[in-house]
Amino acid sequence: MKAARVNHASGNGAVHFRPRRKRTQRELTALTLNLAPMVDVVFLLLIFFISTTTFKRAEGILPAQLPKQGNMADALALPISPIIVHLQQTGPGPADYVIRVEDFVDTPTTFSELSAFLKRVQENPGFDDETPVVLKTSPDVQWDHVVGCWNAAVAAGCKHVSFGVE
Amino acid sequence: MDSTKKYHPRPSLTFNMAPMIDVVFLLIIFFVLVSTFASAERIPMELPDPDSSQALNVKLTDRAIINVQLVDPDSPGSSEVAYSIGPNRPQSLAVISERLMAHKRAVPDLKVVIRADKRVRYGDVREIMEIVAEHGIEMMNIVAHVGDAGPAS
Repeated sequence: MKAARVNHASGNGAVHFRPRRKRTQRELTALTLNLAPMVDVVFLLLIFFISTTTFKRAEGILPAQLPKQGNMADALALPISPIIVHLQQTGPGPADYVIRVEDFVDTPTTFSELSAFLKRVQENPGFDDETPVVLKTSPDVQWDHVVGCWNAAVAAGCKHVSFGVE
Repeated sequence: MDSTKKYHPRPSLTFNMAPMIDVVFLLIIFFVLVSTFASAERIPMELPDPDSSQALNVKLTDRAIINVQLVDPDSPGSSEVAYSIGPNRPQSLAVISERLMAHKRAVPDLKVVIRADKRVRYGDVREIMEIVAEHGIEMMNIVAHVGDAGPAS
């Protein structure tokens, strides 16, 4: 195809022809998108999200069953004898506590030991994962230890864990 | 001037920003997706963190979150606690009991979630547990950190 030419009249009446490639080059330059403001905004957003994001540890729930219409002592009124775990404060410090399982000689000292102990108890005749576990805690024990004890019973596979009165 | 000289366009000096924008957008999308905006009901506090936690990361509907936090958590000897339902300001146990009763009347299948700071005493949490039991709410949920590996199956 023959290249199109555009006539340009100069002051002296002469007619000049401008090649097409020159015209298109100039027009293309004018159409370039200026990305700088967008990059500014995008970087601003990036910095905002990087600086405000905090990776928190996820929260979860440990379900607990409460007795129907009554005080917590009703939890003891069960048809089969439960495993009663005592958690008592022995000193002023937060880590001064002792675990004791009623009617058993073994005394686990940590919650992982308690979990292993409850698993062993379930293997004995008359006990299984349906055997209720009652957690009797003195009021001055830290909540962290109470949850640790509860978690140990759940980790041992005990299906019925409840709170009792110390 | 040689009119027969071939025309060579000047090489472009513009910086190609497309790959950089790709990467930056990718980062923004990542941060937008991983950001979970904290619920106002979940007041910041130190939650219990048991070994090999069995806590389940589930979302409950029809639930009331009761926060039990230390009034002065920075003071090591302080054991004074404040109770609140959801994002509200600290309330007395009587007010909490009334609100819980009203909530239970509106939602019979109400579940209570207790979020207590790990440093509070069991006796302080027990006050709430007794109120919950008085209103005939059977399901109570204790909040703890989820273990790194999740609950053992």
